[in-house]
Amino acid sequence: MIRIFIGMLLIFTSTVTFAATGSIPLKPVLIDLNNKASLQRGAQIYVNNCLGCHTLKYQRYVKFIDHLSLSKETIENNLIFTTGKNGEPTKIGSLMLNAVNPDSAKEAFGVMPPDLTLIARSRGTEWLYTFLTSFYKDDTRPLGVNNALYPNVGMPHVLSWMEGLKKPVNLEKDQYQYIIKGTMTDKEYQKSMTDLVNFLAYVSEPAQLDRYRIGFWVILFLAIFSFLAFLLKIEYWKDVK
Amino acid sequence: MSKFMAWIDERLPVSNFVKNHLSQYYAPKNFNFFYYFGALAIFIFILQIVTGIFLTINYKPDAASAFASVEYIMRDVEWGWLIRYLHSTGASFFFVVIYLHMFRAMLYGSYKNPRELLWLFGMLIFVLLMAEAFMGYLLPWGQMSYWGAQVIISLFGAIPYVGESLALWIRGDFVISDATLNRFFAFHVIALPLLLFALIYLHLAALHTNGSNNPDGIEIKKNKDTNGVPLDGIPFHPYYTVKDIFGLSVFLLIFTFVVFFMPELGGYFLEKDNFVPADPLKTPEHIVPVWYFTPFYAILRAIPDKVGGVLAMGAAIFVLFILPWIDRCSVKSIRYRGMSYKVLLMLFVISFFGLGYIGMNPATPVLTWIGRLFTFIYFGFFVALYFTSANEKTKEPPERVTMHD
Repeated sequence: MIRIFIGMLLIFTSTVTFAATGSIPLKPVLIDLNNKASLQRGAQIYVNNCLGCHTLKYQRYVKFIDHLSLSKETIENNLIFTTGKNGEPTKIGSLMLNAVNPDSAKEAFGVMPPDLTLIARSRGTEWLYTFLTSFYKDDTRPLGVNNALYPNVGMPHVLSWMEGLKKPVNLEKDQYQYIIKGTMTDKEYQKSMTDLVNFLAYVSEPAQLDRYRIGFWVILFLAIFSFLAFLLKIEYWKDVK
Repeated sequence: MSKFMAWIDERLPVSNFVKNHLSQYYAPKNFNFFYYFGALAIFIFILQIVTGIFLTINYKPDAASAFASVEYIMRDVEWGWLIRYLHSTGASFFFVVIYLHMFRAMLYGSYKNPRELLWLFGMLIFVLLMAEAFMGYLLPWGQMSYWGAQVIISLFGAIPYVGESLALWIRGDFVISDATLNRFFAFHVIALPLLLFALIYLHLAALHTNGSNNPDGIEIKKNKDTNGVPLDGIPFHPYYTVKDIFGLSVFLLIFTFVVFFMPELGGYFLEKDNFVPADPLKTPEHIVPVWYFTPFYAILRAIPDKVGGVLAMGAAIFVLFILPWIDRCSVKSIRYRGMSYKVLLMLFVISFFGLGYIGMNPATPVLTWIGRLFTFIYFGFFVALYFTSANEKTKEPPERVTMHD
């Protein structure tokens, strides 16, 4: 009975698959939160290009000291560009906010640019990477660009200065031709987007940095404890016939 | 020490209690794998209470700040992420354990005479636990929290005449709102846990009145030695305490693996859409309840009519309550029951898993029809059992329990 039961469990769990989202296949992206240099580059790209519109309203700058191995001075001088009401620089313990006026944002883009703290958890890292590499020129759109993964998205191609601008040769097959060159090659842009997505993966759940590390020791302890508990059980149960 | 205990015992019979319920409480010696889950359920209940207390310290039951307060716990509260994952993973594992616990009762006829009341208390616990989990799921105030609650509460609206006013009364508003969040918080952290605590006490009291059933489904109290000790019984402490410690440590091994390495469990324990704050103006593409509700949700969807669906879902749970009276076979354990019960139970388990799978997926015409088939099998199990169990071709159960190691 137990065997049949476990067998059935296996059958059912193996047939469970996820429905794909979006119109084009997602591209794989390598997430490595131990790669501090990548996280640092990602943070740099984010505050320079994204934070102006997209807040990270649950994330505090100060966390970068421990999590990204950055010094207080580096963060204050290179990552904090906002100021308080009286013009004083935003303090390092603050949340990562911006000065977007919701009304004018809605007027410009049709929507308020969403907060991105948890975007890597709600959309997934592969979705983000694919989104960031799927902008193309489309003159029918108000901002002149469209996105193959998220058709008719309200966001302009902010990173076109890095990537350049491409026009589709075959959208479904992910084939494009660059018509304007950016500051980066194709490879460099992909690497930068990997860094950016890596950073967003970290921001979405900083606890990942701790939980894998601690989890290893917890599992090791419980494995040894289970073994000892098993021996104790055997010892007590020797005389039960 | 003995003097101290004597002083205590004169005023409160602690030693007697320990004797009656642990050191001289005799449990059958042939418990198998399925007998770990009662103790594990109590462990998870305590875990949920303790982690829940710590969560309420920083959680804010307010539609404007609930979502942010959960993220605050996840990021800025020391070890907050661990407490939260223990609680969220604990909720799912509670149902894993309870479903196995209930399945055990069906395998070995634990709900049969003289344990019908024990089963009824257990079923009440199960229903309250579903309410507890449902209300708890609203608290993070994510998209799935919000829309899941919206869908489930609107089901009450299907009840003729009083439905709409009942749904309104439950929500405290025309839609899920701050008022709903506040009352769900109250129910989740105090009302239901208190009721659960009382019911678990009654469940255990009923259990200890007649003692546990066992995989052979025979009463060990029928064979006693000269001292009145069951020949096939062993003292709960130390035998089952050491055994349950082992069971608990293996359980924790699996449990903490999920907590530390896959707390979302691919979207089954924490749904992706729940990392987006609740937005009353934006309905998610697929509103899917958490996995432990999906078998019943699939039954709801299998019926084309809303009222009918709600009734069927209610019936699917209610019919479990009367299982002791549906199953009329005098032999308890599946080991000695006829082929008809083995086949029926197998079909029931398949339909339950099948419904669970269907409830997680968008309703396509094919899945809906398979869902109807499984719904038919689910209810068919009880109907067929009622008619076959009275004249089942059973084997003779042994006089004494058997050990299989």
